[in-house]
Amino acid sequence: MRASAVAGIVFANTNDNLLNKLTSDRSMASVPFGGRYRLIDFTLSNLVNAGVSSVGLITKENYHSLMDHIGSGVYWDLDRKNGGIYLLPPYLTRGMKRYTGTVDALMGAVNYIDRCGADYMVICNSDVIANVDISAALESHISTEADITIVYSHGKMPHNNGATMQLLFDENRRVKNVCFEESHEADFAIGVCIIQRQLLLNLISSAYEDDNTDVNRDIIAKMVKRLNIYGYEHKGFAAVLDGMNAYFNANMQLLDSGVRAQLFNRKRPIFTKTRDDMPTRYGTKSSVNNCIIADGCVIDGTVKNSILFRGVKVEKGAVVENCILMQSTSVGSGAQLNNVISDKNAVIGSDMILKGTAGKCFFVKKNQIL
Amino acid sequence: MNSKKCIAMLLAGGQGSRLGVLTSKIAKPAVPYGGKYRIIDFPLSNCVNSGIDTVGILTQYKPLELNDYIGSGKTWDLDRLNGGVHILPPYQGQHGGDWYKGTANAIYQNMEFIERYDPEYVLILSGDHIYKMDYSKMLNEHIKSEAACTIAVLEVPDEEASRFGIMNTRADGSIYEFEEKPKNPKSNLASMGIYIFNWSKLRKYLTEDENNPDSSNDFGKNIIPAMLNNNELLRVYRFNDYWKDVGTVDSLWEANLDLLNPKIDLDLSDKNWRIYSRTASMPPQYVSDTAQVENSLITDGCEISGKLDYSVLFENVTVEEGAAVEYSLVMPGAVVKKGAVVRYSIIAENVVVGENASVGTEPTPDSDANWGITVIGDGLTVGKNAAVGPNKMITENIKEGEKI
Repeated sequence: MRASAVAGIVFANTNDNLLNKLTSDRSMASVPFGGRYRLIDFTLSNLVNAGVSSVGLITKENYHSLMDHIGSGVYWDLDRKNGGIYLLPPYLTRGMKRYTGTVDALMGAVNYIDRCGADYMVICNSDVIANVDISAALESHISTEADITIVYSHGKMPHNNGATMQLLFDENRRVKNVCFEESHEADFAIGVCIIQRQLLLNLISSAYEDDNTDVNRDIIAKMVKRLNIYGYEHKGFAAVLDGMNAYFNANMQLLDSGVRAQLFNRKRPIFTKTRDDMPTRYGTKSSVNNCIIADGCVIDGTVKNSILFRGVKVEKGAVVENCILMQSTSVGSGAQLNNVISDKNAVIGSDMILKGTAGKCFFVKKNQIL
Repeated sequence: MNSKKCIAMLLAGGQGSRLGVLTSKIAKPAVPYGGKYRIIDFPLSNCVNSGIDTVGILTQYKPLELNDYIGSGKTWDLDRLNGGVHILPPYQGQHGGDWYKGTANAIYQNMEFIERYDPEYVLILSGDHIYKMDYSKMLNEHIKSEAACTIAVLEVPDEEASRFGIMNTRADGSIYEFEEKPKNPKSNLASMGIYIFNWSKLRKYLTEDENNPDSSNDFGKNIIPAMLNNNELLRVYRFNDYWKDVGTVDSLWEANLDLLNPKIDLDLSDKNWRIYSRTASMPPQYVSDTAQVENSLITDGCEISGKLDYSVLFENVTVEEGAAVEYSLVMPGAVVKKGAVVRYSIIAENVVVGENASVGTEPTPDSDANWGITVIGDGLTVGKNAAVGPNKMITENIKEGEKI
């Protein structure tokens, strides 16, 4: 395939409202995850690992942290002369309304889609954590001569106000129906789909003229009989974030070596912005078990079953269990934390006791001092 | 091209033969340090933090990995439109060419590069030392004193002075004599291998030195003595912070473990003086249920299930359950299998230490002069149940059960 045959589109604000504690001043795409990542890292790495070198990133609001993270795109090798990363913030002109759905959002990016010169577009949501083999999905798209290929997982569907498509197949694995009812066991879309560029342009402009808003409901579900829609099954780990519990559980699943092996597949690495931290220092009498820990931490206390982001400090005598502590959180001596999620730069004073439960974590806001 | 006030020339061509197998495939400046750095990160980060944005890196010995590591210089923010980092290997010209004969000759051969920037001052650095230094302070002092050359020096303990190049100075800080490893040192001011020259002076002395067939074309042996003979003003610049030559196995080991010593002032987390390094994208480290980690540095990609004490682990190292690593450095990609014990050793990149093998030993009060740090070379395998004693430099695979 020629270098620019495939281009990506990423929605940066997918279901922001479901993680509102974490998205009050950031987009879904820039929600921190797994010690050193932002959710967008998975999507961008999946695209780049499939040879995609042009990506349009559609943002709606709260995108400063995302712009800061993406920069020139160099960390994903997306600082390109040809292609590279295009930030597509709302483009408001007279007569154009603010995005209300994915159809409007794609209409706002229509110039990018028109000019990127690709044959195929890979359209991605940002609320999914998975290492998806997009090359294989593309091969399947081409060999089945599909109009649209939807990447799906099998299992329990996310609880996200009916945003997720459930796929029903005929005997030839062609999608014969799409519904939005939640099910405990179903084939459901995980926010990656492949479509011919020209077809996409035609579909969104006619949907836009008809005042339709949602690609899934108003295009895919309605056209399922007319279009050749196929599924590509992603068999590895996939988490669609439908709330704080899902966020907590997806982080904690990284403590499982099998999940790490699937997500951090060496052949398809997950790239992220680097920060030039020094390695993490473990002090005398530190005790760390079953933890994911990023660089730049200083640990003198006890940490169990937790995820520590870059630059976290845990002082002597502090006990941290079942927690997610984001970048530069500091835990004072003798503090006790159980089931706590702390956002960036949180400061937890000496001898503080914070306890949440597995179903409802105690949340410490960004820059909050306790 | 705009002219530059000061550019740096970094001598990175040395083999570093005293590091033995650790530099059998790479140049000394590319040797890993401190979990995620390489030695050359220190002079390069110092340059960019000091406002020096043009650096020529003189390479000669095994440059592949070093060239690869430097790349465009992006890591150190040295990919610049005007200036930036340039790799300068020996080259052939119209009238032939030659390897770099000595440190001074390496600079001589690259006069054309220096002249492009028309600098007033040239900073000469080497890629052998771990330290954080603001070269701009030294440059200011050099300019103020109107010296022809300023040499950075460090006070060393009197009993160690005979291991260094020693500067003998007058009360005003001017140098009257340079002695390389003197038996009876007259001073304890050791040269750190960092020089600032007025470029016009240096150009003159380099040219004269090149025309002298008896010269070994070395800064310490030839250029500095020649300048002193001609009564040029040479001055010392005193440096008081952490500085360590990592040219030997012992000093490399020690300089790494210094990072674990709270009394030693080498803070690599200082946001105002970052040490930059090029790292691959790897997942964060995982420390398992069976791990016991104390007094150690661990970085991205490591998976730890064994016991660690006083050790520095580089990226992507695996320490399996029941294994123990103490007072050791384990370089990128190495694996320490179940039940293996590594003590007082340097395990180079991608080594596999087999199950229940043992490498190195702890010194005891009765340890004789033969005790020392054991080094396992790049990519080697130490077989199951094998035992490698102290003070060994291993260059070939060790078979299962073998005792060395």
